[in-house]
Amino acid sequence: MIAAVALTRQFGDRLVVDGVTFTVARGEIVALLGPNGAGKTTTLRMLAGLIAATAGTVTIDGVPMTAATGSALRRRIGFLTEAPGLWDRLTVRENLAVYSRLYGLERWENRAAALLDRLDLTPHIDVRAAELSKGMRQKVALTRALLHDPEILLLDEPTSGLDPEVTRGVRELLAQRRARGGAILMSTHNLGEAERVADRVAVLQERLLALDAPAALRARVRTGRVEIRVEGAADRYLDAAASIASSATAEGPLLHVVLADPDERTPALVEALVRAGAGVVEVRQDVPALEDVYLGLVAHGDRGPAR
Amino acid sequence: MNRRVVAALLRKELLDVSRNRGALWPVVLVTALALIVPFIVTIVIPAVIGERLSDDSDLVRLSLIVDPGHMLSPDGRVQLFFFQQFLLLFLLTPTTGAMAMAAHSVVGEKLARTLEPLLATPVATSELLLAKVFGALMPTLLIAMAGLSLYLAGIAIWGMPGVLGAMANLRTAVLVVLVGPASALLSLQAAILISSRVNDARTAQQFGVFVVIPVSALLVAQFTGAFWVSAAGLAVISAAILLIWAILAGVSVRVFDRETILTRWK
Repeated sequence: MIAAVALTRQFGDRLVVDGVTFTVARGEIVALLGPNGAGKTTTLRMLAGLIAATAGTVTIDGVPMTAATGSALRRRIGFLTEAPGLWDRLTVRENLAVYSRLYGLERWENRAAALLDRLDLTPHIDVRAAELSKGMRQKVALTRALLHDPEILLLDEPTSGLDPEVTRGVRELLAQRRARGGAILMSTHNLGEAERVADRVAVLQERLLALDAPAALRARVRTGRVEIRVEGAADRYLDAAASIASSATAEGPLLHVVLADPDERTPALVEALVRAGAGVVEVRQDVPALEDVYLGLVAHGDRGPAR
Repeated sequence: MNRRVVAALLRKELLDVSRNRGALWPVVLVTALALIVPFIVTIVIPAVIGERLSDDSDLVRLSLIVDPGHMLSPDGRVQLFFFQQFLLLFLLTPTTGAMAMAAHSVVGEKLARTLEPLLATPVATSELLLAKVFGALMPTLLIAMAGLSLYLAGIAIWGMPGVLGAMANLRTAVLVVLVGPASALLSLQAAILISSRVNDARTAQQFGVFVVIPVSALLVAQFTGAFWVSAAGLAVISAAILLIWAILAGVSVRVFDRETILTRWK
């Protein structure tokens, strides 16, 4: 649905986005991760047609985003900007009413009732934006982005400033949109959220460092570490473990071993330990968190290849 | 141009202005001043110093231009001359107050970070700017027209007999219906053009002051009797102002650089 091909953006001599290529399909959520200044907001702005790419293309269902097509394509996009950008002197209702009129929506309040309820905005509908808390402003901005029921959502940190309960509500909302065939690209600093919500994660640091499912990304950074809990002291089985593992240490009932290929070698290791008389209680592979993967990618971003 | 979109944005502008009383105070203040000054000059000062307006032979001679048929007394004629002169000033001064509002409009939205979500909608630049101009113009004209009613009421109460009746002529109508609104439209369009090219509200206001200078020059020239613009002349001037406004509106749309506004302004 959304396709960015070799998307590049330069501001003067400064390269902000460098040859980024990815797609977001219908019924898919892609999380855009990256440190501050990595080009996430610029990428979202290019996809929304707010700023032009220095090179590369953005297409929505095969229609290239240009000055001529931008207006029609933007009708299909819901864009949550980095700042909520509400008119402070207008109430929540008035803020949303302006946007509903811009999109030519009839009886928008009926259409948005469920959305307003889910985000707990109904009791605050006649409160001026200036009087809202940061989280509440973010919720109004999110409602505004969803008001015209867009097929494509470009969300710049959608859960920033929200409390955990509302954050969960937003995640459910995004999941619903995905189930209805929406294509969602969201930038976030929250790795846990990316892992929970996104089908794929794009790690951006000027260029695209990685784009894959969270589990697949984690699998890229295998430590090979396996922890085995045995009955009694583990040091009795160090020799058996060392016959399979590249290194093995013992600590109380725990054996810490490093395997060249944990998926393949773990059964053999367990077999060797059992043969040596060990009562194996638990075997746990050390799976890196997405955070480890992310930090590893970003730390080596300037050297590592884009995968 | 989508009228629904312009109407939606205009409604928002008017709502915003109605909640921002502070922004309207300069307009009300200059209108009040422009309302008081003509009566001080024509009624209060002569009464305080004990002289009649017709005691000044130069004024009597100058004022003949507004009453060539000698329908009024010399005092009434000089009053009519002043009231006609001040009418132009009266119609234009609210614009100077509204300049601050217009100058702040685009740069203000940017600073409040309300512009980006708006630009992410299908809104065209022409629709956005038109709503901005008319959003500043409409309250200004409303205040000017309210002031005009008081102005005419004041003339009816304190003016010499026949002066109000003599004011009701084609020239006055052209001034009220064409020159005032057209000048305001041009000034506010210029202010909004400036507002979309600078990144600071104060800079926009400072540049905006330049727009008032040609109008002030016209006023001064009329007061000194250098020339008197007839109703037809004022209509031609209005047409010229509207033409310049249309050109300026086109230029405003062309130079409104969404990208620079979003990425370079801080």
